[in-house]
Amino acid sequence: MMEKKEIYVLSAKQISVQQPLCEDWMTQSVEYQTPFNRSIDPSFKDYISPIEARRMGKILKRAIATSKEAIKASGLETVDAIITGTGYGCIENTEFFLEALSKDGEQMLSPTYFMQSTHNTISSLVAIQTKNHGYNVTYAHKGISFDSALQDAFLQLRLGKINSALVGGHDELTPTFYNILKKGGMMGQDDEMCSEAAVSVVLGTEKQNSLCKLLDFKMLHKPTIERLKSVAKAFQADFILTGISGNHNSDKAYLNECHELFGNAKILKYKHLFGESFTASGIGFYVAAQCLKAGKIPANLFVNPSEIIDKKPSKILVFNHSDGNNYSLTLLEA
Amino acid sequence: MTNPILITGCGVVSAIGNNKAETLESLQNNRSGVGELVYLKTEHKEFPVGEVKMSDVEMRKLMNISDNAITTRTALMGMIALDEALKDAKITPDMISNIGFISGTTVGGMDMSEQFYLDYVNNENHKEYIAVHDCGSCSEMTAEHFGKFAFITTLSTACSSAANAIILGANMLRCGEADIVVVGGSECITKFHLNGFNSLMILDTNPCRPFDASRAGLNLGEGAAYLVLETEESAKRRGVKAQAILSGYGNACDAFHQTASSPDGEGAYRAMEEALQLADIQPDKIDYINAHGTGTPNNDLSESQAVKRLFGENVPPMSSTKPFTGHTTSASGSIEAVFCILALQNGFLPVNLNWSQPMDDGIVPVNQSVKKELRHVLCNAFGFGGNDSSLLISKPEL
Repeated sequence: MMEKKEIYVLSAKQISVQQPLCEDWMTQSVEYQTPFNRSIDPSFKDYISPIEARRMGKILKRAIATSKEAIKASGLETVDAIITGTGYGCIENTEFFLEALSKDGEQMLSPTYFMQSTHNTISSLVAIQTKNHGYNVTYAHKGISFDSALQDAFLQLRLGKINSALVGGHDELTPTFYNILKKGGMMGQDDEMCSEAAVSVVLGTEKQNSLCKLLDFKMLHKPTIERLKSVAKAFQADFILTGISGNHNSDKAYLNECHELFGNAKILKYKHLFGESFTASGIGFYVAAQCLKAGKIPANLFVNPSEIIDKKPSKILVFNHSDGNNYSLTLLEA
Repeated sequence: MTNPILITGCGVVSAIGNNKAETLESLQNNRSGVGELVYLKTEHKEFPVGEVKMSDVEMRKLMNISDNAITTRTALMGMIALDEALKDAKITPDMISNIGFISGTTVGGMDMSEQFYLDYVNNENHKEYIAVHDCGSCSEMTAEHFGKFAFITTLSTACSSAANAIILGANMLRCGEADIVVVGGSECITKFHLNGFNSLMILDTNPCRPFDASRAGLNLGEGAAYLVLETEESAKRRGVKAQAILSGYGNACDAFHQTASSPDGEGAYRAMEEALQLADIQPDKIDYINAHGTGTPNNDLSESQAVKRLFGENVPPMSSTKPFTGHTTSASGSIEAVFCILALQNGFLPVNLNWSQPMDDGIVPVNQSVKKELRHVLCNAFGFGGNDSSLLISKPEL
């Protein structure tokens, strides 16, 4: 079999409901009482000219800011691939176009909204902005969109087809689509906080000043518990970062599965701070990578206060499921 | 390339046929499926389109899906093509749980969302369709009709989505992540993108004429196609033969403009070059190129430049099959890959219909029926945002 290359996480940046482009949430998190919150945006003028920014939706501005910051922090001049995951894509422009189509009919539509409504607008805009002709794709598969992008990068790094990749997860949520998705039972159930998220990470095969190592990755569709058990054997870690969110059914499944699959590993969560979005698993990846880099896990990530421990983590598993249908396991090591 | 990627089955539905046999017949007899709009409810009757010749109700019936089940046209077409691909590759239901499914789409369930959007916003009507708006749910509906696949994901790179699904599948096989993956894409025509393309002024009110001096835009089409990719070892074990080999593939970004291609076709050039390099095949070995060839002034000029840069004076026979089907957008990469497989198996060059006069600085496409033994063919699919991909498909060694 082929020789397996080591894969490092060189940088990870986020814009979310926590302070943007920094790790302030580790010590001073922003608290929310409302069920739907939009991201705290940084000033975009360092990343995009005001003329360009005027025509861009929020999701695009955030993608450019996190991508440029992640590439800068990685120490690389350029990346070999740009791979993006987005559950719903450029929802704001889609909403504008759908609304115009529904209310004003088919004669007076402007191309601007349509041009920025496709999912791959994000990845291609990042390529245009960073003048990158490398491999470029976009995944759009619900709550495993970022995970799918990560898998693609992981496989190609292993194959030696690429030596570095910018992997992004980007989702925006407008008040209108929040209400629609809640109505459709897609999010906002029980005590769940809904949000937006932009995450950009750079992976590479050279260690440089990495945050951590990406040891292994696996994605599964509707696995039986036996199948999960057999896969989980290779994914044991001292901490399991779950997507526990306040959605009662989903949370119960996480707790049961963690007990079955990972024995006494300590269970962590992040969605109470960052909210639920189709890109939340990307935030999970970012949180785990930053904890490994910092050599500590903030007390407010522990599901059981009795398990809080001031110990340097060596391995964190990001354990994600989307609607209980699609699972991903991402194993990171300090 | 180290281990060959076998194509052990495929299925297709488009304006020129509901299966491979009908498709082959149409291609060999130069019978276009582009015509007056029948199924999509829109004010824009002036545009010719390549619709699949079945209503949603007829598709439901064909796939044994009850009238009240929630589904979308993209998912229904996907099921028809997937059904044929699985049978063609002799995949039985008990094998599904070890097989990956990778699909490409961009509009997803937009055919429903555009009908019910104001209901979604204002009342409780049709709210059961909200959950099938997104691309991922279309892939899952398509797949779950046949069982529980080992993993499912969805590519969305506009008009190269299906081609990129094929590339991911090939990389998964090479990594040892699976022995068999089913890859491709599906996309129905929607009012959303018909109007979007119209607002960009790239639709022709006449049948499209790729690479012709008078070309004035594209005709939209729809359809689905899936390919079964398999390792040599697995095919041997199952006793199935390769219909074709995926010997190379390339993906590059034009990084030029959100909706236009660069004048020198940089992304297209790189994608084709990478496919040749991966296959370790010299340009002079390519016997045919199935062009992206949408019929827009911009695409056809850019693609011509890219091909000329790569092949110099010796451009292989090349044609766009979009005058047959219309531009099937996200599904075009896999639909046209199936056309290439049919051309390899049956030894013919698909004709670039509706062509009459050469464009300035462009390629001259195949414009009459030619019988020809083919060994290696390239299949191009380019998307908005410069997401350019190229597949190199070869005849199996005997």
